[in-house]
Formats: sequence, C-alpha cells, structure tokens
Amino acid sequence: MSEPSRGPVYVERMSVLFRIQHLLLMISLLILAVTGFALMYYENWLAQVLIRLEGGVLYRGIIHRAAAVSLMAQLVYHAFYMLISREGKRELKEVWLTRRDFDDFLQAMRFNLRMGNEYPRFGKYGYKEKFQYWGATAGVFLISVTGVILWAETFSMRFLPKFVLDLTLIIHGYQGLLIFVILLFWHLYIVHLHPSVFPMNRAWLTGKVDAEWLREEHPLEYEKLKGEGVL
Amino acid sequence: MKPFRSFLLAVLLAAAGAGLAATADAGPTVRDCLDCHGDATIEKSQPDGKTLSLFVDEKTFRGSIHGKAECNACHTDAKAPHGKLAAVSCGRCHADAAKSYSQSTHGIVHAKGVKDVPGCEDCHGTHDIRKVQDPKARTFRLNIVGVCLACHEDRVIEEKYGLPDQKVMEAYRESVHGRALKKSGLLGTAVCPDCHGNHMILPGDQPRSATHRQNIPTLCGKCHSGILEEYDRSVHGKGMRAGIAESPVCTDCHGEHTILKITDPQSKVYVKNIPKTCTACHGNEAIATRYALPKKRFSTYMDSFHGVALEYGMTTVANCASCHGFHGILPSSDPASSVSKANLPNTCGKCHPNAGANFAKGDVHVEVTRQKGGGVFAVRVFYTIFIGVLVILFVLHVGMDLLGRHRRLETKPEEKKE
Repeated sequence: MSEPSRGPVYVERMSVLFRIQHLLLMISLLILAVTGFALMYYENWLAQVLIRLEGGVLYRGIIHRAAAVSLMAQLVYHAFYMLISREGKRELKEVWLTRRDFDDFLQAMRFNLRMGNEYPRFGKYGYKEKFQYWGATAGVFLISVTGVILWAETFSMRFLPKFVLDLTLIIHGYQGLLIFVILLFWHLYIVHLHPSVFPMNRAWLTGKVDAEWLREEHPLEYEKLKGEGVL
Repeated sequence: MKPFRSFLLAVLLAAAGAGLAATADAGPTVRDCLDCHGDATIEKSQPDGKTLSLFVDEKTFRGSIHGKAECNACHTDAKAPHGKLAAVSCGRCHADAAKSYSQSTHGIVHAKGVKDVPGCEDCHGTHDIRKVQDPKARTFRLNIVGVCLACHEDRVIEEKYGLPDQKVMEAYRESVHGRALKKSGLLGTAVCPDCHGNHMILPGDQPRSATHRQNIPTLCGKCHSGILEEYDRSVHGKGMRAGIAESPVCTDCHGEHTILKITDPQSKVYVKNIPKTCTACHGNEAIATRYALPKKRFSTYMDSFHGVALEYGMTTVANCASCHGFHGILPSSDPASSVSKANLPNTCGKCHPNAGANFAKGDVHVEVTRQKGGGVFAVRVFYTIFIGVLVILFVLHVGMDLLGRHRRLETKPEEKKE
C-alpha cells in the first residue's frame, strides 16, 4: 500500500479440494436447513409454503435424507483426509485446539476492552476460525447421530422406547437450530460482515487472500509464508 | 232317492236365483265403465279452467295389482251414469297402512286439509298401482327416490313448509347410497323409505321417528349388522344404549344424506378428516369435562410426526382410528382396547414391526409441559436458553471485536513509526 507500484499480492488459503468440500458442505447444509426447518416450524406459513414446494412431507423427507447422506459422507471423507493426506495433516495441525487459543481469546477480549495493550497474533487460524470449525464439526456429528437414529426408526424402535425417540427428534431439531445460529451469527460475521473482509472473503471461490489482509489478521501465518519464501 | 233329488233341484234353483240377483246388484263391470272412460278424450272442466282427463287406460289397469277387481271395488258409489264420485278410501282394505299413515307427518298434515302433502295415490299411483317388488311400480326400490324427490326437491314446497333444502336432498344423489342406486341400480342400497319409513314417516327430532338419534344405530344396523354388533360393544355404543345423548351414533361420524365412501376426500371419515371429526366431541371442553375424557388429544396428535405428516399429504401415517379403532373403540383402561398398555406394542407393530414392549413405554400423546412431557420439555428449555445465551454472547463478541479493531487501526500508525 505504501508502494503504489506494487499491486496486491495474493496467497493461497484454501486449496481446490477444500473449496470443493466447502461448496458441498454449504449446499447440503442449506438444503438440510430449508427442509428441516420446514418440518420443525410446520405451523409457520413460510414453512407450509416450503413443504408444498418440496413436494409434501414425503418428498421433503427424501430430499432431507439425500442431503444428509451427502453431509455424512463429507464428514467421513473429511475426517480421513485430515488424518491421512499430507495437506490434511498440515491443516489439522493448524486448526488443532490448544491452550494458546483460549489465552488468545482472553487476550483479545482484554485488548478490545482496553484492559491490555497487545492484540494476539494469530496463525493461519485464530480462535474465531477454530471455534467455527470445531463448533460446526461437533454439531454436524451430533445431528448426524440423532438423524440416523430417526431415519432407521424401525431399527431404533427395537431398542429405544418411544420417549427416547421423542427426545431424539427434539434434540435433532434444536441441534439444527444451533448449527444454523452459529453459521448465521458467527460465520456471517467472520467471513462477510467483518470490516476487513466486507462484503465477503473471496477465499472460498478463488482460494486466495490478499497478503496484506493476512499480515493484519493472521501475522504468524504471514511471517511463516515469508520465511518459506512464498511471499 | 226322491227327497235327495228334490233337495238338489232346490239347491240349483236357489243358486241360479242368487246368481241372477248378484248380477243385478253388482253394478257396472269394468267393461261398462270403459264404455265411457276408455275414450282417450274424455275429460271434465274444473273451476280453475283446467281440464282433468277422465281416461282410464285398460291395459294399464289390467296390469296393475288391482287389475282383476271391478271399478266399484274402490269407487264404491260408481253407477252409470254418475256425477262426481266420493274419494277413494284405500284404508277400507289396507287398514294397517292407513293407520300408520294417519300417525305420520304426512298423514297429520293431510288430515288438516293441506293438499300439497302426499296421499296414497301420490306415491302408489291410481289405476297403475303395482306391487312394491314389481320393477314397474312407482314404489319399487329403484324408483321410489324419484317419487319422494318430486316434492322434496321442489323449492316452492320446501320453502312453504320449511323442509330441508335442496342441498340436503341433492347430497343423497352423490352419497355412497345414491351413487350405488344411480350407477349400479344396486337393490341393496339405502333408499328413502329404508331409513325414513314408508307410511309412518316422522321428522328425526321426534323420538318415535326411525331417524331419531336413539334409533340410528339400529336403523343402520338393519343392513350393516356386523358393524352394529361391533359398535354395540364399543364405548360409544354402550354410552348410546345407556341413553347418553352425546355419545356418537353412526351419522355423527359418517353424515346422513352426505355419507361418502371412506376413500372419498370429502368424507368425514377420510383419513385426513378423521382427526377433525373425532375432535368435534373430544375437543369440546364441556363434553371432555363431563365424561372425564383425556384432554389435548388433537393438539398433541397434530404436533406429532404422524399429525404433521398427515396434514401435509402422507395418508399412510397413523390417524386416530389407526390406533384406537373405529366402530369398536374402547377406552385404554379396557384390557380389550387396542390402546391398552398390554396391546399397545401390537397396535404400534401394525405399522412398525419392530416396536415391541420396550417401545411402548411412556406417553403416546406427548404434552410438552413440565409435569407431563418432562424430558422433551427439559430439552426444549435447555436448547432455548443455550441458543439464546449463545446469540447474546455472539453479539457481545461482535461488539467487542469491532471495538478492538477500531483500537488496532488507531495504534497502527504509531507502530509504523517505531
């Protein structure tokens, strides 16, 4: 910026594979939300319109389950990818929760409230990204378990009393609401509404971010890339 | 021998004399009457200017049930020539029918001199009367509906006497009984007199009427006898027989003139309409309190997956009748009930083959309140609070993060100087 002759430099933040995973995740979660909330809030007029659009309760269920299969397949694929592939292992290390993240969070809060003078320096993923990642993963895992129990209801009924299935159903619904709230409030903020990226962090499409943005928001990653000679 | 011969002669003479005398007293024969009345153009003018045909078609008369009788069997005062004859009294021979008729709503009004109301001839005909079993009879099963509706679909008559309107009558034609009549000419279908009676018709609000509430199950049971048997064993049937007026009878669920096949979406007992039909009584606060019926059955059903799925087009899911039965409904406290604790696994198992005794634990109609649906209620409260708190924290975090960012931008120029 200080040297206008040099245009912005972009560095890769999301590889093609991750972008595809992200896109699939986005599509299946949207479908699941639309079909799921239509049933959960069936009394609402919008839900009623949606159920009719989705072809009634029967086809709504089929669409919901198809998207769920896709979501669970992604979860399994992602887990293996993160544990086995070279890129996955590297990313897992970056996104792994450590004591440091909690300290970073507290430090950030202190700084924000003018109780400390140092803003934490984040690596590739700060506490905001990690909260997003692990929150969504845990949520998707729990909703998958309850979803499978409900889907295989003929099988579940052999072991589970009706009130357990009633509970499963209600947990499934509220868990969906929880994931939706995290996405709406947290994800929307950190990748869309945050002033540094508004209106949108384009990494999910181009895979790349501005090196200058990286230097400001994720300085440790910036320095690491610089050290590796990428920048 | 001699006395016997003279006795025989005397008998013969007496017989001949009596025969001659009889011929002289018998009045005109049918042939005599037809000398005039066989002329197709014979008519008389009436005070209102119209003409009345006095023609009697011999063929029609001979084909009628009375075709072998002489005219004066009915027209007792008929001589040739004659003026206006007295009214024919069918009751001279048909005393039972006349007595029933006189007690019916038609008979009572007729006795007051109202001319719109049907007398014998309006339903049975006059010179063309045939046996009710004769397909050509006006009163034959397949023809009688038209005879009744001739007046009961006449708007002028309906309005004049405050009769049920045309829609009620029309509904019959589209009902399962009416269609069976119209489409298949099914002799076993219900036609007007099967329910309302023939000579002894009374409005349904009179206890002696065949169509009075208390008589309905027996009435329908005349044809649907297996179902009546089942109904009589049910809680509704027992209540009805015990004189509880609110206990439902056939027509409360099936309708009257509007009875439709259960597969017809318009039917009150079509799968999708059953919850509303049952709720007409079970959701009625007064009835539910008076007979200590369990409450909130409709709302808890509609909130269940079965209810929602039924509402949005899945007709295979359970409705009230799937679990509780229909004609033979029994309370869950009755061991023979399909929803008694012991039978519940079987009942659920009709659709969910794996639902065993373990599955049937707990409430089926789950009321989500602290007292009744504790678990579900707790989960709901927990998530509501959890999500609510989370949203508040998110908003706070956004606020603080923006403050922090502002501070970072403030301090940045200083950093650069260093």
